[in-house]
Amino acid sequence: MKKYLAGVVVVLSLVLPVPGIASEKPAINRQKTGLYKDVFDQGVYYEGVNQLDLGRWGRKIFGKKIPSANVNIFDEVPDSSFFTNRHARRKLSPAELERGCSETPGPDLSGPMTVIKGKQEGLHPGFFIKDAKGDSYLLKFDAEGYLGLATGAEVVASRFYHAIGYNVPQYTIFRFRPEDIVAGENAYTYDDTGFKKKMTPELLEQYLSFLPITEEGEYLASASKILPGKNKGYFSFRSRRKNDPDDPVNHRDRREIRALAIFSAWLNNNDIRESNTLDMAVTDENGRTTLKHYLIDFNSALGAAKGGPKPPMFGHEYMLDYGEVAKAFISLGLWEKPWQERWREAEEEVSHESPAVGYFDNNNFDPDDHKAQLPYEVFRILTSADGFWAAKIMASFSEDDIRAMVKAGQYDKEDEDYLTGVLTERRDMIIRHWFSEAAPLDNFEYHDGLLKFSDLAVDRAFEKKETAVYVADLFSYKKGWKKISTIESGESFFNLDPALVSSSTKTKLEIRVKRNGDEAEGRYVKVILGPDGIQKIQRED
Amino acid sequence: MLKSFKRAVAAGSVFLFFLGIAFAADHYAPVYYKEPLKSKALRDPVSALIALPFELVRWPIDKGLVYIEDNHIDRKALYIYDEMKEFGITPHVAFTDSAIMPLVGGNVDFVSLAGKKGQYHDLIAEASLRYAMGNLFIVDSELGLRRIGETGFYSSGTFNFDHRSREPFYGIGPDTSRGDSSSVRMETIYLAWNAGYEFSPSLNLKGIFAFKENRIKHRAHDGKGDMTEIFAGKNIPGLYGGEELFWKAEFVRDTRDTKDEATRGSYQKLSFKFTEGVDGGKARFFTYQLDAAKYFRLGSPRRILAARVFGEHNDEVSGGEVPFYDMARLGGMGSSQRTSEAHRAFVYNRFYGESALLFSLEYRYAIWEYREFKMNAAIFLDEGQTFNEFGKFKFGDFRESYGLGFYLSHSRHTILNFSVAHGDEGTKFYVKNKIPF
Repeated sequence: MKKYLAGVVVVLSLVLPVPGIASEKPAINRQKTGLYKDVFDQGVYYEGVNQLDLGRWGRKIFGKKIPSANVNIFDEVPDSSFFTNRHARRKLSPAELERGCSETPGPDLSGPMTVIKGKQEGLHPGFFIKDAKGDSYLLKFDAEGYLGLATGAEVVASRFYHAIGYNVPQYTIFRFRPEDIVAGENAYTYDDTGFKKKMTPELLEQYLSFLPITEEGEYLASASKILPGKNKGYFSFRSRRKNDPDDPVNHRDRREIRALAIFSAWLNNNDIRESNTLDMAVTDENGRTTLKHYLIDFNSALGAAKGGPKPPMFGHEYMLDYGEVAKAFISLGLWEKPWQERWREAEEEVSHESPAVGYFDNNNFDPDDHKAQLPYEVFRILTSADGFWAAKIMASFSEDDIRAMVKAGQYDKEDEDYLTGVLTERRDMIIRHWFSEAAPLDNFEYHDGLLKFSDLAVDRAFEKKETAVYVADLFSYKKGWKKISTIESGESFFNLDPALVSSSTKTKLEIRVKRNGDEAEGRYVKVILGPDGIQKIQRED
Repeated sequence: MLKSFKRAVAAGSVFLFFLGIAFAADHYAPVYYKEPLKSKALRDPVSALIALPFELVRWPIDKGLVYIEDNHIDRKALYIYDEMKEFGITPHVAFTDSAIMPLVGGNVDFVSLAGKKGQYHDLIAEASLRYAMGNLFIVDSELGLRRIGETGFYSSGTFNFDHRSREPFYGIGPDTSRGDSSSVRMETIYLAWNAGYEFSPSLNLKGIFAFKENRIKHRAHDGKGDMTEIFAGKNIPGLYGGEELFWKAEFVRDTRDTKDEATRGSYQKLSFKFTEGVDGGKARFFTYQLDAAKYFRLGSPRRILAARVFGEHNDEVSGGEVPFYDMARLGGMGSSQRTSEAHRAFVYNRFYGESALLFSLEYRYAIWEYREFKMNAAIFLDEGQTFNEFGKFKFGDFRESYGLGFYLSHSRHTILNFSVAHGDEGTKFYVKNKIPF
């Protein structure tokens, strides 16, 4: 009997998780995705299944929003493996902005680069190479006739995302001559046929012959340095990795992921999608493995798209945009879509003559309705608080900062001026929109009854200081919030009665801004004060 | 000892106090109102339960899509298709008007197959085979020259064989009933010599001399009697098939910008044919046919009004007759040749007659565009009738089809046509890969 019992225990211990083993950190699996899966999931599956979400309907009917879950008491996003507050926290110098996260100026050309693997898409090859130092890079090129378009967009967008706070690989503009590259002994490629082929010197030469070259006879590439660590696939824009203790919040509720919609609108990067993200597992010297979450592939930012300039509908419609289709259908085609109007006004030609710029301008740009290629729910549930946070970060970039990052694309002066101008104008359009959607008050400080703050709309000269009146409803907490009074201030501070903000209880202010004598009140920002000062800042959604 | 400990504690407290202030002042510090951070459920339990069966469907689809992309299955399939085409073999998938089953098959270009396309690019040597299970079997072949001696002249010989298991028949004329229906098994052998002159890519004149044999087998099926029983006592010419010779002249002018998704231009096809029965066949008649369409842009290439008129008249000569299988026919989507013309609220071959008149008006407008993909919505109206004698033509005999279509195209080639049409005999749904005109 004992034997049988022992046998059962052994079998069960093999089948069931043993507590000792279960407590160990489980392995982080590689998650796989691709464009087809992304399109099916976001364009078809979730578009349908989300309609069966009762909570979603409830929120729609009652106008409720899901606030971001990873914000701190100051309504900021603390640093994490997804995001590091950079330029908004500490101004980066123009040189830092231009350099981004680059550790090297690109592949080392003291010896020939060796192709390890090919990456063929149409007539536009890419190569994984190893340089003389042993560093690995992915080289990507422009479509014929559009020298500098995709390569420039990729490098410039990477600088912006990095300065904002996201993790990106190192991208650099890189020039080389035919003699700088050789096919590796075991190099292979999957070409247009989909079949694996050995990358022979002849095949490499053939691929190179399709590439556009500069006037100096050089190839122009964007070189991205292969990231350290183990590739763990993409990160979801919806759910967290359940076996990653550093990833406690569902990604749908991460502000920095929601705000990608806004930053991508700024950079015209409509190709922001899960398959353009990458998780890398990095093990430190103590043997602890952590995941670092990256954004990758920006060669469809600014005026670029696969194969040339951005098609006119990009940024205005999802790939499968049922809402726009329904509107066009119901209107019997008599309603002209914004992108159609823009395209018609441009006489069906890209707005800027330079092939390196592509189709990028601010005509018909709507900061509230710029669409990525796929309709991710995380972008749709973005709240005004999330929007304000993103706009605040964008506001930290001056025109000179923007120019410094555009410089990384190595455009000629005219293109650099044009792109800087469009990005600066678009920055202002976005900021103006989101500052009007929230009470644009920030930098709260409380000392000895004085609550100070900044009005960012005034700071940016969107609004006049003398026309602003700050109105605060004051609440005290005694078994629930009870309104005490309403106070007003023409300056960006409130002198609070110390008796109200006693050390034994909490006080709440709901501050709204009235401008130009408007009676209508906008959304409030809620400040909770406790014995130790500010306890929480939250914006009305 | 105690003093130094107290000092250390005091110093530590002061340090921690300032550290706390510094930490509290850092607006980016990971200090949360409610700690620790916890994930909220993405859906409430009821919604999660509702979505569960869909999740189970999504999982294998996602896996399949990732597998296809990872292993380049899509590229491989396209490459194999292109290679086969280059080699001279083109696979073919279509939807028939008369059957639910898809029409599958392929075309063989023998010149490409022999690797002589570059050398003899004007030589036509092709054969195709198409099959729809339990319904259709079609063999087409052509041998000839697209251009003779760098002129506009061309000439070819064609051989076709059609086997149609269930060719429906509802009677002749405008006053037939859909309830009185039967079908025949029809086999057609067609041998022709074609010659013509292409004045320009938009203007063509063609002459055809052909032999045609129609073999008909009557049999009861689906609980219904055969055609001879259902239509007993009625004069149905050509009830048992027959052999014919015909001479045909055809003039075609086509100025459309594209054939599948025309946004401007027009086409006109005008033909004249004389048919004579051989080997005892009674067929002896002239056929006059006009098929014309014009495409109007309504202020934008995204809004098109397309109008079509189709007319056919078969005129008996010297006591001859027009066999029912040679008559004008209306009904169905009209998306394939040699079948009835589009009258979309009615079934395929619904109306037979010596003459037919059909007007179609269609408003097409773009509702979706993505790169080279485009979807047009179409609102259409078909007005048509068949009749035997001009004297018996009545405006009141026109039958209407009206409905809605969605045409998906890539690079202006139709990929999918989903249409729904309604008329006095009910509603018809179509899934095709062609549009009627």
